[in-house]
Amino acid sequence: MKRNALVFVVLVAAILGMLAAGKYLDRTRKHGPLKMVGNVKGVQAPDFDLATLDGRRVKLSDFRGKAVLLNFWATWCPPCKIEMPWFEELQKQYGKDGLVVLGVAMDDTEPPKIAEFAHEMGVNYQVLLGTDKVSDDYGDVQYLPTTFYIDRNGVIVDKAAGLFSRGEIENDIKKILASSHNSAAPQTSRASAGNPWAPPTKDAP
Amino acid sequence: MTKRAGTVAAAAVVFFLATLGLAQAPGGKQSYVVMAPVGNVQLRAGASTSVEMDFRIGSEFHINSHHPKADYLIPTVLKLNVPEQLTVADVKYPAGEDMAFAFAPNDKLSVYSGDFTINAVLKAPANAAAGSYPVKGELRFQACDHSACYPPRSIPVQFQVTVIKK
Repeated sequence: MKRNALVFVVLVAAILGMLAAGKYLDRTRKHGPLKMVGNVKGVQAPDFDLATLDGRRVKLSDFRGKAVLLNFWATWCPPCKIEMPWFEELQKQYGKDGLVVLGVAMDDTEPPKIAEFAHEMGVNYQVLLGTDKVSDDYGDVQYLPTTFYIDRNGVIVDKAAGLFSRGEIENDIKKILASSHNSAAPQTSRASAGNPWAPPTKDAP
Repeated sequence: MTKRAGTVAAAAVVFFLATLGLAQAPGGKQSYVVMAPVGNVQLRAGASTSVEMDFRIGSEFHINSHHPKADYLIPTVLKLNVPEQLTVADVKYPAGEDMAFAFAPNDKLSVYSGDFTINAVLKAPANAAAGSYPVKGELRFQACDHSACYPPRSIPVQFQVTVIKK
């Protein structure tokens, strides 16, 4: 009986200790500046340099002046599958107005399997291979799908975590398309060092 | 309180406390699944025994069963590493529950939700040396809620097996 009571107390203490340690580590393990936490609306979208399924490199800043729908997804994510045909349709519908859809695959799977999946889903918009860095830069994207709506100046207009309706997605697309490209967009970023949308500047002689 | 009742009560309290951890893991990365402690398993040399491992999934989540309905889905898999004195003869998974979710009402998925149990059949050869042996492993799963999914995760699995001579 005494032994049981002792075991019981030790186990409870161990569990409580683990919970406390988890909270402590949560506060201390992160190093460097926090990125994209809290409300990200109005924040400059961090630039990235990611590989496409066919091995090219794509930067977010390649699309300056365009409205960008940046969708984080994975092959193992059934809700992501629901959105993909919508994104394809919306890209066709609004592409002429300046919409660019970029899918960022957060799989550990080999690129050919991701490509096969995207093909089966009828996806023709650009699919990029996600990295821990881009996930971290965008606020540790763990919840898929997560979509960022980025206006023509590279500012995040909205973030949608989870599956939303086609109508809600289209409304957000209209918002980012309505923005006008300001070549002197303010550097309001909390997440990136520079403004990828700013026009290139010449080096001083 | 008998010794057995005390052990069961302790395990229940630990499982309850561990369940609290479902929402308190670091970085907002919830555990989604916790495992109840497994009592000391006794196994006679030359015999086999079934070890029940009880898991609890957070109330708002589900995970794929061991046999999800599509290749692209990540199955729940238990991996056990046993010492030389033991072998894993079989791992028995529960059948998944066919459920449809709001994100795809016409597309049923085979999932686990709530509590589920996996049974591992362990064997000890007749010449196994008596003693206490640790069994370690992991449960790998991939969780979703009603509108989104989370990256695959693993939680540790650990228990002790005592081999006794015939």
